[in-house]
Amino acid sequence: MKRISLKWPLIALSSTFAFILFVVPLYGAAAYSFKGNGGKGHSFANYQWLIHADGFYPSLFTSLKLAVLAGVLNLLLMVPTMVYLNLKGQKFKPLVDFLCILPLIIPVVSLAIGAQVAMPEFLQNTEYELVFFFVIIALPYTYRALDTSLQTVALKTLVEASRSLGASWTRTIIRVIVPAIRSGITGALFLTFALSIGEYTITSLLHWETFPTWTVVAAQQNILGAIAISVFSFVGAIVLLTAIALFSKKRVQQVEVEA
Amino acid sequence: MLPLLPFFIFTGFFLIWPVIAVTLRSLHGNKNEWTFANYRPILKAGPYFHAFVVSLKLSIMTAVIGSILGAFFAYVIVKYARGKFGAVIDSISAVFANSGGVPLAFMFIAAFGTEGVVTVVLKKLGWDIYAGHFTIFSFTGVVLVYSFFQIPLMVLVFKPAIAGLRSEWEEASTNLGASQLTYWRRVAIPILTPSFIGAFFLLFAGGFSAYATARALTVGTVPLVPIIIGTLVDGNVVSDQANLGDALAVGMIVVATVAMAGYIWAQRQAAKWRSS
Amino acid sequence: MSKKDRVSSTLELRGVSRHFGSVKALDGLDLVVEPGELVALLGPSGCGKTTALRIVAGLEVATSGELLVNESRYNEVPASERDMGMVFQSYSLFPNLTVSENIEYGLRARKIDADKRKKRVDRMLELVGLSVKAKAYPHQLSGGQQQRVALARALAIEPRVLLLDEPLSALDAQVRGQIREEIRRIQLELGITTLFVTHDQEEAMAISDRVGVMSHGKLEQIDTPIGLYNAPATPFVASFVGQANRIPAQITAKGKARVLNQKVNISENAGNFEEGQSVNVIIRPELLEIVSESDTDATRGIVALKSFLGPMTKIGIAVEGAPLIHLNIASREVRKIEIGEKIAFKISSDEVMAERV
Repeated sequence: MKRISLKWPLIALSSTFAFILFVVPLYGAAAYSFKGNGGKGHSFANYQWLIHADGFYPSLFTSLKLAVLAGVLNLLLMVPTMVYLNLKGQKFKPLVDFLCILPLIIPVVSLAIGAQVAMPEFLQNTEYELVFFFVIIALPYTYRALDTSLQTVALKTLVEASRSLGASWTRTIIRVIVPAIRSGITGALFLTFALSIGEYTITSLLHWETFPTWTVVAAQQNILGAIAISVFSFVGAIVLLTAIALFSKKRVQQVEVEA
Repeated sequence: MLPLLPFFIFTGFFLIWPVIAVTLRSLHGNKNEWTFANYRPILKAGPYFHAFVVSLKLSIMTAVIGSILGAFFAYVIVKYARGKFGAVIDSISAVFANSGGVPLAFMFIAAFGTEGVVTVVLKKLGWDIYAGHFTIFSFTGVVLVYSFFQIPLMVLVFKPAIAGLRSEWEEASTNLGASQLTYWRRVAIPILTPSFIGAFFLLFAGGFSAYATARALTVGTVPLVPIIIGTLVDGNVVSDQANLGDALAVGMIVVATVAMAGYIWAQRQAAKWRSS
Repeated sequence: MSKKDRVSSTLELRGVSRHFGSVKALDGLDLVVEPGELVALLGPSGCGKTTALRIVAGLEVATSGELLVNESRYNEVPASERDMGMVFQSYSLFPNLTVSENIEYGLRARKIDADKRKKRVDRMLELVGLSVKAKAYPHQLSGGQQQRVALARALAIEPRVLLLDEPLSALDAQVRGQIREEIRRIQLELGITTLFVTHDQEEAMAISDRVGVMSHGKLEQIDTPIGLYNAPATPFVASFVGQANRIPAQITAKGKARVLNQKVNISENAGNFEEGQSVNVIIRPELLEIVSESDTDATRGIVALKSFLGPMTKIGIAVEGAPLIHLNIASREVRKIEIGEKIAFKISSDEVMAERV
């Protein structure tokens, strides 16, 4: 007697489950954000309110500013570090790897308290202190992205070739290495940016106002509006990241074919 | 070594030093003397001990739900989602797994809140989910919301383990006359168990440390350690022990470290059986 | 029940095919494996040999044709009930079980009691010479040892038929020879009907009673190793089995050709050719012999290559109008031949195989 194939029942079951758990909340939230006043009908009223609300632009601007700075600082710090690590500093790799995993182990809350205790006065008085901590939080992902990228490129060969042709170290890094690990750099940059824009924990514990913290406060006045923007950014991020993931995979395949 | 200095100085100052600083201060009492006094409220019965219990309960529950459902999804995905479709699922899982924080909380409020879209629809269909004790702003609500990222995280972390089950093992087992059930009981499950446990620890650590989502949802209605630290910092709650918040923070570090140690140990166990 | 008491089984495939849409993995395979025989299925990847084996094992289903064991139809019998022992190419041992636990796996599935199990496992370990490794785990064993355990595990259940899916392909060259001989030794001792799949012709020829050469889902020829070697039925078999020279030639008359200014007879099995048609003639290296320079019928060339292979040495001769011609000589006699020297040789066979160009 043949075994009954479990294939389709399993697929049906998991699809239903997945739908209920993931699609329903997303859809529900999106629908909610379009609710008109009094809960009836649909309108963009919530989105409009949001844009005109007090503090929307300043907090958004702050978030963008800090995110950009964090992204740049992250690259300035990590690209030379990772390049050196993979070229000559191999024996330090375990240590650096561990340090870059730490932000995943240490709860962000604890880091925030630590920051309060440890950071000097002048630093604690400016919102720019957040930039440094955003970089720390992004470390695990940055390390991974850059390391993977560097492994796939024949780093030693490239460097030797460049140097033997007479290029200086700076030139080698800028003209040869950076283009080669472009995907790792963009990945790291993007992740840092995304993390920084959405970071709530340290920002709120250190009492700074960025877009996420402002949204929570604004929510208390107009929950609909706050929800509207949150949903929009969330759904938008999902769509964007999925699209990027789809397209970047294609590019990798193309490169493999060409090689 | 020299080019690595900027990195070491940066992480030393912004990562290591804060951790050391908060640990040191947690060991200092109100009059700046060395003491364990800050830890006492945590270790004996009381609101702070209770908060740890609730946090642990939350982490364990979401880790259990996430790991079991995630393992199920991971199996179905590995077995039936091939090629392009599988790649899309991977990306979506990655996005969902990293979701969290404020937008996620709001999204669930929008869907399942008292006037939420889904709540309303269900009411129309005759099922009032708020008739009982349920509210999205409660412990149960938080568990529901956390599952949204715990399950995909499990899929992401556990998928490689399932993919590592070689088809030869199942075929050999069948060939030797054993049933599917026997194969799973004697071979597949024992092999998957270390990875499963490791993933569980990972989910547990994540559930324990999460702050933003819980904050947006509960604001004090559910006693969780990260939230309490927040209220202490805000000055909304004042405690006899000046540095109680530090002790709580260190407590969190300890729990998270234990969980991560469990994860690393489990990963090592799983790797042991990889053929030479 | 000792092995000698067990009656060996007959395995038969009648017109077995396996189609995937328009792809024919297996196209009408007819094969009989007599009791106690070791038959090898030999061919390049994609020829269908593994598909055939997996259909016998029940891991794949034939789209048409019949599978018979001792005259009973087996097509519908589930894989777990077929009582066949299979050895896979690699990685088939359960990594979380010890060697003993691996070997007794099939026995436990059959609910054989602990005493009997222990006895059988011990006997199997002795058979493959790994008694000392009973409590080791697969990852602690070498590749060759793992395959021996896999063999013990398959034989522990006292199967009717033994199936081997390229069991040596993943092993180091040196180990391969040892394990291959052990497999044959054990197979003969137990008298078990065996089907053995491989792409390595040396392996197949060395230990099989008969070898079936396959290509594109079809069985081209099945015969004893010597039969295949001396009387290949098709050009594919001729060039796949043993080494061969492929030399351009011209058909002069029916059944005759001119190659390297020598006259040869073409085997009937090569098919029909037209007068004047260009073909390749297939000649084994040992069917060429070195002759003295004065022989007028000989072909002349220059020694381009000398490869010392142990007992034999392979000489490569550059001849105008032909690819490098390979010739084998006993190493003892090769001292006088140097690279760059002139040399003459003749074809010393009555009949040769030919193929279309």
